Order: sequence, then C-alpha cells, then structure tokens
Amino acid sequence: MPMLMAVFDQPDQIAEAVTRLKGRGYDDIETYAPAPFEAMEDAMDPKPSRVRLLTLIGGLVGVCTGYAMTIWMANDWPLMIGGKPFSSIPPYTIIAFELMILFGGVLTVLGLFGFGGIYPHKLDAVYDPRFSAEEFGLVIECRDRDVVEIEDLLRAHAAKEVNLVQA
Amino acid sequence: MTPPPAESVAAMIRPAPKPPDSKVNRDLLRVMDGAGPGYWLLLLIAAGSVGAAGAVWFYQVYKGLGIAGYAHPVFWGAYIVTFVFWVGIAHAGTLISAILFLFRAKWRNAINRSAEAMTVMAVLTAAQFLGIHVGRMWKSYFILPYPNQRGLWVNFKSPLLWDTVAISTYATISILFLFVGLIPDLAIARDRFSGWRKLLYTLLAGGWQGTSRQWKAHNRTVLHLSGLATPLVLSVHSVVSWDFAISIVPGWHATIFAPYFVAGAIFSGFAMVLTVMIPVRRIFGLEEYITDYHFENMSRFILLTSIIVGYAYLAEYYVAWYSGVEAEQSAFWLRAFGPYWISTWVMIIFNGVLPQLLWISKLRTNVPFLFVLSVLINIGMWFERYVIIIGGLSREYDPAVWGVYTPNAAELTIVAGSFGLFAMLFLIFIKLFPVIAISEIKELVIHEKTHGADH
Repeated sequence: MPMLMAVFDQPDQIAEAVTRLKGRGYDDIETYAPAPFEAMEDAMDPKPSRVRLLTLIGGLVGVCTGYAMTIWMANDWPLMIGGKPFSSIPPYTIIAFELMILFGGVLTVLGLFGFGGIYPHKLDAVYDPRFSAEEFGLVIECRDRDVVEIEDLLRAHAAKEVNLVQA
Repeated sequence: MTPPPAESVAAMIRPAPKPPDSKVNRDLLRVMDGAGPGYWLLLLIAAGSVGAAGAVWFYQVYKGLGIAGYAHPVFWGAYIVTFVFWVGIAHAGTLISAILFLFRAKWRNAINRSAEAMTVMAVLTAAQFLGIHVGRMWKSYFILPYPNQRGLWVNFKSPLLWDTVAISTYATISILFLFVGLIPDLAIARDRFSGWRKLLYTLLAGGWQGTSRQWKAHNRTVLHLSGLATPLVLSVHSVVSWDFAISIVPGWHATIFAPYFVAGAIFSGFAMVLTVMIPVRRIFGLEEYITDYHFENMSRFILLTSIIVGYAYLAEYYVAWYSGVEAEQSAFWLRAFGPYWISTWVMIIFNGVLPQLLWISKLRTNVPFLFVLSVLINIGMWFERYVIIIGGLSREYDPAVWGVYTPNAAELTIVAGSFGLFAMLFLIFIKLFPVIAISEIKELVIHEKTHGADH
C-alpha cells in the first residue's frame, strides 16, 4: 500500500487535516510532533490515555500495602506499651499515604512506557529529525486510487510538502 | 594517476548536510557542547571538596563518631542540620514542576528542568547524611523493614520511619519526574549528537518520536505525577519536621512545625534556584529564555514564603510566652540572647527581614541584588535549622545537663563536601542533559508563531 508523508508548520493545520482524513474514513494515520498540542492529539484519538487507570491501581495498591504492612508487622512483633493496641492507625496513615504516592507514581511511569511504547527500539522509517526541530509530520497509508485525493486534501491544509514514501 | 571524476570531487568539497534544526534546539543544546577550562576548574574544586569530605567520612567510620564535635547533651549536630537543609532545597523543584504545572503557570517552563534536577541532586545529597550521621553506618539498613531471623520488625510509630519512607518516596518520584520530562528532550539530543552521546540518548529516549499516542501518554503521566507530587512535596517536609515536633524537646514540640518547615523549604529552594540559575544564565547566554519576568516571579515567591517564615518565627515566640511553660520560655529566651544568639539573629535577619526588600519592584529584577540575597537566604536557612536543632537539644528541661555544641573541623569539612557534591552533580548534569526543557519552550514558541505574540 502507498504511504504518504506530509510536513506541516502548524499544529492547528495538522489537526484539521487529521479530522478531515478521519472523516473520510482514512484511519491509518500517524503524526509526529515536536511538542504536545492537545487539538492534534484529540483529533487522532479523543479518548484519554489509559495511563490514568494505572495511577488509580497503583495508588489503591499502595494504600492497602501501607496499612497491611504496618498493621501486620506491629502484630507480628508486638510492642506492649501501657496496654495500648499494638497497631495504631494515625501514624500508619503516613506510611499508607507515602506508599500510595510511590506505587501510584511508579505504575504511572510504567504505564507511560507501556501505553506510549517507550522502550529502546528502532525508529519508524519515515521518522525525520525535523520532527524534533519545529516541524510536524503526518504519515498516512492508503489505497493507490486515493493517493491524489489525499495529497490534494493535505496541500489544502497547508502541508508544505507531501512525499510518496512507499509505492 | 588519473584524477577522480569531477562530481566526486565536488561531493568531497561540499559540506555534509546538517540535520534540519530550529533556533531553540541550537540555543539550548549549545549549553551541552564542549567544556572550557573554567568548567573543569569548577568541577575540580567541587570534586576536591567531595574527596576531602569522603576522606573525613572514611576516618569517621574507622574511628567512630567521636571525631565529630558532639558534646553532651547534643547528639544531633551539623549532619542533621545539613540533612534538613538539603531536603528543604529539594522542595522548590517539585513545587515549580508539579504545583505550578497544575496551576498552568507557563512561566515555569524556562526553569522547571533545572529546578527538577536540583531536587534530585539535593535529595541525593541529603540522603548521604542519613548514612553519615549514624555511628555504625554499616547497620543503616536496620531502618528498613526486611525479614530477619529474629522475627523483628521496625516500629512504624516512630517519626524516623516516616522519614525513611517519605524521603525514599520523594527521591524516587523526583527522579521519575525528571526522567519523564527529559524523554522528549533526549530524543532531540539523540537526533543531533553523534558518538557515545548518541548511544546514551538513544537508549534513554526509548524510541521517542513524538507520535500522538506518545504525547498523549506523556501529558497524562506528567499530569498524574504532578497530582501525586503536589501532596508529596507538602508531606515530605512535614514529616521531616515531625522528626522534631513529635518529641518533647522545648523549641521542637510545636504544632506549627509542619507548615513552618514546608514554607521554609520552598523559601530556601527558590533561593537556591536563583543562586544556581543566575550564573548559568549569564555563562551560557540564556537571557532570551530565562528573563527578568522569571526572576520577578521567583522573587514574589521568595517574598511570600519569607513572610510565612517570618510569621512562624514570631508565632513561635508568642506561643512560647503564652504557653506559660517555663522550659519553653527559657528555650526561646536563650535562642535570642543565649550562646547561639548569632545564629538566631542571622536566621531572623536573612530570612525574615532582608527579603522584605523585594517589596521594591526594581529590586525584584535586579539580578546582582537577587544573587546576593539568594546566597544570604541559603546561609540564613542553614542557620534556621541550626538554631532549631542545636538550640533545642542543648537547653532541655534540666539546667544541670545543659551544654554547648559547636561543629568542629571534621563536621564542617563534610558539610562543605555536601555543597561540593551538589555542585558536582549539577555541573555534570548541565553538560549531559538539556538544562532547559526544550520541548516545553517549543510549545510556547510554536504557539506564538501560530497565534501571534499575544502573550
């Protein structure tokens, strides 16, 4: 299948181009951006990143671990002081709180690695160092007969160049 | 010998095509290029002081804590003072990167990277003192809840355990925060450097290409880490303050300690950001990115936290008087007029009085003034901890066991070494990683290019 690569200067134009292409049923699109722009990311996929689920899981596991660990340890090695209960919730809340943040944070970052695909691997063949300068890239895979239409659409949205990278 | 064909000669003469680039990349990556003799000299001085401190520490492990200036009844000396000082310095980084991120204060973009790096370095420096201040440091791991044959567990009701958990969480989260923010910038560096640097950045950038899926996950991660780090930053110095406040030592046993310490931490952290960023901006010519506007905003933060800290100083005296507890009253009387009066007045004047000059708007952007003020604040904040810790311990309830403590040469060498360690780590950082968050600056630059300079 042919693959087209377009280069843009402005995030709004690429966001509009993506919306139009998706509207016409072209779904095989990838974009490259030097900085985050919400309009563009939402045009690609309006759903929030699933990273947020991992923060929740990590936080809950952390709180439970914090309380369970402290209460269990206090009872496994009881310190008898004036007939008070072995475990005491207020100070353990501090441990539970810190572990909530620790587990939540670590799992969030693991989520970034997992859902963002961030681990050492080969870059895409179409990736260009310009995309880590100040230009935006859009790559779309389509059928042969659609190439002309897509190119026109991209140029209408101020793509400053459109290349056929794969016939 | 036949001459080579003309076109291959032309190819040899023609310079290799440079990768396409932008002004922001060039300006900010330039900071990481080559190092002059001045840089190596600074690094040598910093490493030298770390080496001296290391030698003293080695001798201390060999001889025992007796070589430190501890004198009955003071057994928490300059080491703990410096520990609290560095944990405090660590707070501005997370405040700038997390809290200002949640408030959408875009001016943080120019300073958040260096502040985050300072956070990590200050926490690492502080962590050294946890090992240094204990006598048998090879038993430091006793503080961790590890399974052992004796069936013994640590006591989580102790503030020292809260401290361990809070500091290690803070270190982990601030390292993650720094790393996550660095990923897009590492990709920028990966595309532009060659040799071992390219290899390093390729590994660390983890195949970052700025695809929308990556940015989406990245934005969400930064948002959630900010949400987690905001209560964390407030909790960490609170927990450190409870190391003191939970005890019954006069001058320590105060409910005001948590907010008082947090405000002091942010105050000293911002001062340290100024102390470090003013020379960095000057040396690397980053005036375009770190402007007077940033200094003005940081000055306002310093002014605000100085007022809170100054208020806490006064409130402590009021509460000591109002409490009617004789030990508390004499502790505060001796603070101002006893053997540690110099430290107390240094703390009150440098932290509470001098920063009030920032009410004058001209001084908020006067860089030499800010630099001097920030150094004085750092000194004042070290003395604040000195006054609280030493002043409290040396004058407890029974006058028969009062004593005087002065840090000796061994302790001061290690304290100086901690500043050397911080400086050394920061010097290494600015040559290895972008000291300003490039992709966040680009967000502003591209926005401005698209919508005109309306901010």
